[in-house]
Amino acid sequence: MASRSFRLVTVLAALATAPGALAAPAKGPRASTKHSFKVNLAPLPPSEKAAWSHAPYEAGDCSICHVNADPKKPGPVAKAGNDLCYSCHEEFQEVMARKYKHPPATESCLNCHNPHNSKEKKLLVAELGTLCKDCHRQIKDLAEKSKVKHGALDQGEKCANCHNPHGANIEKLLIQLPFDLCVNCHSVDNMKDHNGVTLTNFKKWLQENKVWHAPVAAKDCSACHRTHGGENFRLLVAEYPAKFYAPYDPKNYALCYGCHNEKVVSVPETKTLTNFRDGTRNLHYVHVNKPDRGRTCRACHEVHASKQPHHIRDGVPYGPKGWILKINYTKTPTGGQCAKTCHETKSYVNRPAAGGPAKR
Amino acid sequence: MKRRLLLWALGGALSGVIWPLAGFAFANVEVGQVLQNEDMPTLGGGHAPFLSRKALANVFIFFRPNQDHSLATLKAMALCEKEFAQKPVRWVAVVSDSAEKAAVQATVAEAGIQMPVLVDEGDHLYGKLGVRLHPVVGIADDKFQLVAYVPFHEINYCDMVRVRIRKALHEVDQAAVDRVDNPPKALMPDDIPGAVAKRHVKLGELLLRSRRWDKAAENARFAIEKLPAYAPAHALLGNALAGQGRCAEAGKSFETALRLDPANQAAAAGRKGCAGK
Repeated sequence: MASRSFRLVTVLAALATAPGALAAPAKGPRASTKHSFKVNLAPLPPSEKAAWSHAPYEAGDCSICHVNADPKKPGPVAKAGNDLCYSCHEEFQEVMARKYKHPPATESCLNCHNPHNSKEKKLLVAELGTLCKDCHRQIKDLAEKSKVKHGALDQGEKCANCHNPHGANIEKLLIQLPFDLCVNCHSVDNMKDHNGVTLTNFKKWLQENKVWHAPVAAKDCSACHRTHGGENFRLLVAEYPAKFYAPYDPKNYALCYGCHNEKVVSVPETKTLTNFRDGTRNLHYVHVNKPDRGRTCRACHEVHASKQPHHIRDGVPYGPKGWILKINYTKTPTGGQCAKTCHETKSYVNRPAAGGPAKR
Repeated sequence: MKRRLLLWALGGALSGVIWPLAGFAFANVEVGQVLQNEDMPTLGGGHAPFLSRKALANVFIFFRPNQDHSLATLKAMALCEKEFAQKPVRWVAVVSDSAEKAAVQATVAEAGIQMPVLVDEGDHLYGKLGVRLHPVVGIADDKFQLVAYVPFHEINYCDMVRVRIRKALHEVDQAAVDRVDNPPKALMPDDIPGAVAKRHVKLGELLLRSRRWDKAAENARFAIEKLPAYAPAHALLGNALAGQGRCAEAGKSFETALRLDPANQAAAAGRKGCAGK
């Protein structure tokens, strides 16, 4: 047992430094270096009822894996390492040929599976979530201590809802690109978050709204959402105002400024930063950059998908009863206009009409 | 007027032939359009061109200091830069002159990039291309045609940039790019078609060696139910039945196996062993 413990420590030390391990926050170590519990690979004692049993063990012929058939003296295994497992589990030739591999799986199947029987599905040596989080302790902390939690972590297949613990074709051992994984679940009308708020049916929303925000189109939900848990509403990776009005402070828009240039809002005059300008008068600045009632991004933009270009919303919920105020945006040959909306019809000009000079 | 129309048509036709438009990229420049080269000041105080005719892939990275995504991207590109060091790839990073110089220097040092850092005076290049996002990676070929535009991705960003550089170097084709952009689902072992059935056939074959005919037949039947057209499962059943002395029944399984796969040796040997019994 002592030698096994040593081997586990060695394996998990390798895991801590190897690429492709399960997702961990960007900062800090990837995973811890040893299991906190004793791993027993022997068959469960008769007093403990196994829920799952390995077919060769169930067949009662130890010589399938060991050098002897006698259950009392099976002796060592017939082949070293994972090759023994792969002699039946041939599909692992493909699984472990994937670009991203889980180091503990590469090293030994026995790091996570009992080859005889178990109380856990897939012959795991411990409950799946417990097993993963025993090494990935930062994820455990995030999942347990975060203000906003993600139901996917403790429902269904838990970590394996999104990660393949053997090998995958995507970073973080993701089974599919984030969007495909997210929409697998977020495609119903009545899903609620932990506070009982109804969440969007994204399959439906994206079908109805064909102008997709770039991270959505790139299937990269993780660009904006922290999937293991977080401090911001909707698991956003950074702050984003939840309401229509907010005093302008760049910190409020940390989420958007993770990719977009804050100068789009902080500079009053520009010829280059945005096409939402009248000549050089930056209309993002006009709308948003106010010390008291600055319009937030959500006032005009849909963050996932819209029917209009530039992710402009059809209308915005306004007032305490959420009355929908139409934006009535129209792109024009020289710029654009918003008609009979929060304000009377106003247009802006920043490029030449065919053959004419630009307003600069 | 006729001359203008002719030039427009010729230009459009050429751009379509050489680099089919692959969608919207920068706000003012699409993939497939030709970029203008320009000489720009560098962070170190000199000058360097934005693009080079000597490079098959001109990779340019627009970034900002004090931004997590930019730093992560530059760190990843520093590794890529080394990986392509022996190839005709030219790298530049571009930063607005409005960014604080010390912060830019700190970001560059932390990222470990070796490429020149071009300083965009008055956001001239930003405005010309219509750079709206940071970080973003663009790739132009030796004719300065924009061949790729890759805004920041949290997942698989490095792979996406790397494969596009390789495409610009003519090392891979569009199918390779598509495979990176849309990687196949990493199925769990039990979900891989046929995996469970094949696993039981392997186990059954081991049981045959131990003369555990009944268990071998059990595994064979399970496999046949899961994967009826898998010849080794029928061969296994045949050999398990033959081991029990049931050659008449075994013969049918051997025939099925050989019909599915005429080269199946286990079935051929089993049939031979049962001949005359």
